Amino acid sequence: MTLLSQELRLFLRARLSVIAVILLTALTTASVIAGLAEIDRQRAAIAAIAPAQAEDIGAVADWIDAKKDAGSAGYYSFHPTWDPPSRLAFAALGMRDVSPYILRVRALGLEAQIYDGDTFNPELALPGRFDFAFVLVFLAPLFVIALFHDLVSGEREAGRLRMLQALPGGGLSFWLRRSGLRLGLLWAALALPFLIAAMVSGVAPLTMLAVLGLAFVYLLFWVLLCGLTSRLRWSSVANAATLAAAWLILVLIFPTLANVLVNRAIPVDQGAEIALAQRERVNRAWDIPREETMRRFYAGNPEWADSPPLTDAFHYKWYFAFHQVGDESVADQVYAYRSGLEKRDATARALGWVLPSVGVQALMTRLAETDLEAQLAYQDRIRAFHRDLRQFYYGYLFRDRPFGKADFGKAPRFEPVANTRNPTP
Amino acid sequence: MNGVALIARDELRLMIRNRVAVIAFALLILLTLVASLSSWAHQQGIAELRARHQAEAEQAFDAQPDRHPHRVVHYGSFIFRPLGPLAAFDPGVDAFTGNSMFLEGHRQNSANFGDVRQSSLLVRFGQLTPAFVLQIVAPLLLIFLGYGVLARETERGTLRLLLLQGVSRRQIVLGKLSALGVVAILVGLPAMIGFLLIAGQPGALALPMSVIAVGYGLYLALWIVIIVLVSARAGRSRDALMALVAVWAVVAVLAPRMAPDIASAVTPLQNRFQTDVAIARDLRRTGDSHNPDDPHFAAFKQSVLDRYGVTRIEDLPVNYKGLLGMEGERLTSGLFDRYARASYDAQARQNGLVNAIGLISPAIAVRSLSMAAAGTDFAGHRRFLEQAEAYRYDLVQRLNRLQAEDVSYSDDTAQDPGADRRKRIGSDNWRRMPDFAYQPPAGETLATAALPGLATLLAWFAFASLLLSLSTRRLGAR
Repeated sequence: MTLLSQELRLFLRARLSVIAVILLTALTTASVIAGLAEIDRQRAAIAAIAPAQAEDIGAVADWIDAKKDAGSAGYYSFHPTWDPPSRLAFAALGMRDVSPYILRVRALGLEAQIYDGDTFNPELALPGRFDFAFVLVFLAPLFVIALFHDLVSGEREAGRLRMLQALPGGGLSFWLRRSGLRLGLLWAALALPFLIAAMVSGVAPLTMLAVLGLAFVYLLFWVLLCGLTSRLRWSSVANAATLAAAWLILVLIFPTLANVLVNRAIPVDQGAEIALAQRERVNRAWDIPREETMRRFYAGNPEWADSPPLTDAFHYKWYFAFHQVGDESVADQVYAYRSGLEKRDATARALGWVLPSVGVQALMTRLAETDLEAQLAYQDRIRAFHRDLRQFYYGYLFRDRPFGKADFGKAPRFEPVANTRNPTP
Repeated sequence: MNGVALIARDELRLMIRNRVAVIAFALLILLTLVASLSSWAHQQGIAELRARHQAEAEQAFDAQPDRHPHRVVHYGSFIFRPLGPLAAFDPGVDAFTGNSMFLEGHRQNSANFGDVRQSSLLVRFGQLTPAFVLQIVAPLLLIFLGYGVLARETERGTLRLLLLQGVSRRQIVLGKLSALGVVAILVGLPAMIGFLLIAGQPGALALPMSVIAVGYGLYLALWIVIIVLVSARAGRSRDALMALVAVWAVVAVLAPRMAPDIASAVTPLQNRFQTDVAIARDLRRTGDSHNPDDPHFAAFKQSVLDRYGVTRIEDLPVNYKGLLGMEGERLTSGLFDRYARASYDAQARQNGLVNAIGLISPAIAVRSLSMAAAGTDFAGHRRFLEQAEAYRYDLVQRLNRLQAEDVSYSDDTAQDPGADRRKRIGSDNWRRMPDFAYQPPAGETLATAALPGLATLLAWFAFASLLLSLSTRRLGAR
């Protein structure tokens, strides 16, 4: 213990190292504050849904009530869905800045709605967000390099190395103690601000431990890389240059190169093709016999097949039916599109095993539920909700029941917390 | 040979002897080549894909059978944002914005299917483009090659020897600057190959391209001055290297990430949900077409009846439903424009703030210069969105006019078995609708937009040069 405190005293005398640890603490603090602020904004936006929605749907209900037409009610009613941030989302914002976390849908064709985006400034999204994951993945290694590149070579250059090695206990345990202290300090600089923010946000203890463990392992990787470099017995300055180059390659160049390769190796059918195809199928319904559409619809949805046949007058049940048939007709393309996205994502994750930077980013966004998987899970919940919406309106349309003001309140409500591990209340 | 050239030659010879430096340099050249070629291929691929989709969408629109004009209003039009040739050099926000839009009546849809939502998480690490290599990677290579140019001489005492031999301080510094300048030119060369590929394409504009070339030249020159400056000030090579890597990390990695967070906290954007609800609210106030007693539409109806001198809409020579559609579209479009403008302006303010922060980070300045000149910044996307909205409005109103003039009111309201057939108008009408043709900005517009970034870089360069000339005077004084 006394040896360790002696080591600490030595460390505190090195101005550059102390500045480095303080700076990393400050950057981590800033990043978690920025993350918490962003998540607060997102929560506030979600909390603002209910009153605005009540006003909006109230106005629709007012004029629908005159004719009590279920078709118009379904056509003009937008129903909100939202994806609340997990408690850990502040630490890794992931895709939450470019994918919508609020989306309103109607009981009409879903494929024309589900890919819609929210308003965001692309120039702000371009460089990526300043969150804990960024500090960990991008910046922390630079601090490791700053503190470790001259661990051995610095002593050699100062002429103390042989003496240190000759001292009793000057072997491995000495280096372990010295590196352990530095690693511990850097880790604490990341961990303490994170822990405070995580407690404020109410992250589950096990998740906290996972993040802290991940941060430690990642730092350890860079420490080991510094150790490997020091075995080359180069000068401190050569070590620093080599390590900085390694950082550049592992954190910036390989991931961007891999992005090009992954996107090229796994072509994804453009989502736009789904949208184009769905539009053709939906609009074709106006040019073919209406019975043909109804036959296809009833084949897939026999529970409504006993509905009275169509007359010459327009009936909304036909309108809703051809929208659903349109969705169903592109189901294969939707499936292929989605599996393409999943395949790209899985490949990038697999790459995380060889590229620690990518691996840590992938794990952080997974733990925070801000990755593609979480986005797709949200889309699944939207799809399930949309199915309920359709069934709800069909209950009026196919049975020719009137849709009054009170019926608006009976519409299914979106349940956001189906699969979320760290849900917000 | 004069002193400056001798010093420069000596420094370059030393770099060539340094095997690590040569390998790093070769790798960077390779990286830039790969970036140029892959970025060019990517841009070509995207441009072709979008052109193909656009052609398919137009063909589908023209091939519609006889239809009621209002069906076509909802059939709508798909448009795809074309990608300018300079996007191969700097794609800017292209991957982050949706590139296709569905245009229909009374609705403003978002631009969808951006690459960022179709790619793996790797896309957030940055994109391998010539712009990325020149902005982020090249300065670091220059740092590795140049951190020791003066610090090394000071450290080893060779600086004094040089001075004793009668070389002036100015000559030494200029020599070191020229040596790094040669490296910078070699680094920039492969990116220029990409430039040549781009220049051969139709629509490549000379003026923005020269602004980009000047901008990056200035940016790399600035780094060289900073490197020599820090190397002159630092007593030891290691201190110079650490300081320079720290400066680079702040300027090129940290500041560009922090700036957006500050900007979005200062100027929040209204999300789409709130905008839609607000538009619906405003619409109810100005004129609610669902309300039979709405004063705005009652007045509108009266004005139409007065204009034609009749008392019943059935007696109008035109189809009142078409006129009503036009009036409704006019109202909604006015609101769309107002809310869109507010959102665009807020985003422009955010970007303005980021650029203000760019005063402390030349990397932000060169990025905004590069995107602005390439036409791939937010302003470029906004140009597309505004043209799309103008086209949408024009198309919908043309179709509404067809409904007013070519479909009779009695047919339009009829419900008998043959009514559906009588409501439809000939398919030749669809072919007469104009196609969306994106008007790319003029070269002067792009170049002008890049000027603030260029000015920031110039100010930085002047400031750093001043500091360097001050440091030069005290060189070797310690």
